[in-house]
Amino acid sequence: MPMPAKKNTPVYLAAFLLLLAGVGYLAYAGFAENSVYFLNVAEAKAVPTQQLHAARLFGTVAGEGIRTHAPGPGVSFSLQDKDDASQTIEVNYAGAVPDTFKPGAEVIVEGGMVGDGRFDAKILMTKCPSKYQKQNRAS
Amino acid sequence: MYIFASAMQYLALAASIAAGGAALTALLRGDGRLLRFVEKGHWVTSVALVLASSLLLHALYWNDFRLVYVAGHTDTLLPAFYRLTAFWAGQPGSLLFWALAVSVAGTLFAGTPSYASLKPLTRLWYWVVFFAITAFFALLLTTWSDPFVMQDPAPRDGSGLNPLLQHPGMIFHPPLLFLGYAGFVIPCCLALAQCLAPDPEERPWHEISRPIAILAWIMLTAGIVLGAWWAYMELGWGGYWAWDPVENASLIPWLFGTASLHTMAIARRKGKLARANVLAMAMTTISAFFATYLVRSGVVQSVHAFGDSTVGTPLTVFILLAILICAWACASAKPSGEPLAGLASREGFLTLLAWLLLAMALIILAATMWPVLSKLWTDGAKGLDAGFYNRVCLPLAALVMLFMAACPCLSWTGGLLRRERLWYALGAMALTLGACFAFGLRQPVAMFGAAGAVAALVTVGLSIARDRAWRGPLAALGAHAGMALLAIGVAFSGTCGIEKDLILSKDESGTVGDYTFTLKSVEDGGRPGHHFLAGTLLVEQDGRTLGTLTPERRIYDKFGTMQFSEVDILPSLGTEIYASLLGMDDDKRLLVQVSTKPLVNWLWIGGTLMCLVPLAALLRRRKPAPAADDDA
Repeated sequence: MPMPAKKNTPVYLAAFLLLLAGVGYLAYAGFAENSVYFLNVAEAKAVPTQQLHAARLFGTVAGEGIRTHAPGPGVSFSLQDKDDASQTIEVNYAGAVPDTFKPGAEVIVEGGMVGDGRFDAKILMTKCPSKYQKQNRAS
Repeated sequence: MYIFASAMQYLALAASIAAGGAALTALLRGDGRLLRFVEKGHWVTSVALVLASSLLLHALYWNDFRLVYVAGHTDTLLPAFYRLTAFWAGQPGSLLFWALAVSVAGTLFAGTPSYASLKPLTRLWYWVVFFAITAFFALLLTTWSDPFVMQDPAPRDGSGLNPLLQHPGMIFHPPLLFLGYAGFVIPCCLALAQCLAPDPEERPWHEISRPIAILAWIMLTAGIVLGAWWAYMELGWGGYWAWDPVENASLIPWLFGTASLHTMAIARRKGKLARANVLAMAMTTISAFFATYLVRSGVVQSVHAFGDSTVGTPLTVFILLAILICAWACASAKPSGEPLAGLASREGFLTLLAWLLLAMALIILAATMWPVLSKLWTDGAKGLDAGFYNRVCLPLAALVMLFMAACPCLSWTGGLLRRERLWYALGAMALTLGACFAFGLRQPVAMFGAAGAVAALVTVGLSIARDRAWRGPLAALGAHAGMALLAIGVAFSGTCGIEKDLILSKDESGTVGDYTFTLKSVEDGGRPGHHFLAGTLLVEQDGRTLGTLTPERRIYDKFGTMQFSEVDILPSLGTEIYASLLGMDDDKRLLVQVSTKPLVNWLWIGGTLMCLVPLAALLRRRKPAPAADDDA
């Protein structure tokens, strides 16, 4: 039945374009407003502080310098680069500290740099202690 | 003994290559005599992988720490149940599990009358694709990800399993995902085979493999819901979904798979969308491989400590090849030639719904990979926070609910099926919007999502009550009712809950919304295997006692100073109260995070319904398919 196909195609095309425009608008607005830097500590150190008003940093909790806020909740600590321990950023976090937070834990902080070079974290996540662990053998 | 296990993995590889190669040779030479040899191949791969898996289970059960894998994921204190489930605890084991699931699914399908009804040419193409997949898995297992690597000397004890992961939700979450991924492989192989060897007299692949696709979808749904439930009950942060790359990795195949089931419904009823249907199923399977790539390659930083592994590059090559082959097969598929009915018909709305689901899958895919993609034009990698997903995906999800409500009101050919049904649906929507407003919900997306979900429940209910539609598409009705309940749970618990941190001395009270929390007692003690700090909170509302909550913090003997939260809840089908103990300050005051979770349990009820009803529908005796214009 070729006739109905001719009739319906423009309607479907219009619906598709409408959907595309709607989704495109939502995605464009999201990309513009919800995009943040995803950086390791060493990479973040190389970026000017004023550009890091919104960022997600990946690193390891340094062995020393963990200060639990009293009265809580919250913690201040040094975030080390995973590969270069000499590269650190001081992080201040005022929320509930995850269970698995400890020296040496791999963590993700989300927030922004403040004037004094400290990172004010709104979110602190420790990497899930998943059963899917790193390869622990040379291969 | 483990040399034998490794040999079995090599045998699976050899059998896959030999049988797949023979199938390809038969196709090139036009010699059908090789089919008998090809059809024996799956037995060899299945038996080899069953034997290898049995030996791994044996090693896990008997704590054979000579195997690196066993030592890395269990210890002598771990109960036998958790030791055995460590089979899928690490990468090599889970890849073996996935390979086993694919191979056994192939063997089971080969024994069905549906397979017997296939023409030799279709069978040969089917086995070419199937053995290409099993060969790839066997190659991974024999080279980059071997679970039978041994160490000498063997350690006296293993590393153990993190207490957070010793939870039923987390035990069954990974295998269900893998079974879901594996299940979609069979329909995909069949779809590609029929594309490459079209035969109008043969039953179409979407009819033959529909039960397998539905079963795979059930597994995937159950895996995702269980993972969310585990996060909610065990992690102590009060949430169930964080849009983390690893969570997204399982949602993408689910969205493709759901879109595929809807295009399959159109194909089954009307014989339309032949190419789109194959494409949707191929995308579902490829996205399952992509999920593994995302999880295993370390290409995107995730909260989950999956880390960098060696299987990233082979998976990339395999996925790219799979995309090329699927594109070629889809392009060579014969278009159905049948035009779609008008937009305002059930098939029109199902098509729009499939588009929406595909759009969501592609957006989540792009957003998850954004840190990699953005590097192409920016200096530092840029990623997208949870706000992006909520902003883009939730309005689309609300729209999906509206389509779900509208579809049963429409006939397949166009126009309204039952006029009063539309009025009932619109009435339910209006009432829900009013009720949402009255209960303080002000977010338009959540309001329309909830209203659409309630309207969908009404239309599903009417289909059952008035048309006895349960005799036909029980799976679809149950899945839609479950999805609607899940959406209601998400809309309310995600937007109307209150969360507050309270610092309380003994007999001190704090309020969260209408609720008063009084710390009645603090207990500090030990149980076998762990020490704990517990606080008992009396929960009251308007002077009425609702119950007590006793959240704990634990330190396990085997996990050093690491603390684990044990949340406590006051379960309710209305507003659930959730408490986790964050710690004790220097003045011996307890710090407790308390939150209210309106309607959160409907999320779990809906998720359960989405799995159990379609499962029951698959298990019940086949009834003749209802007429074309009914309420499927």
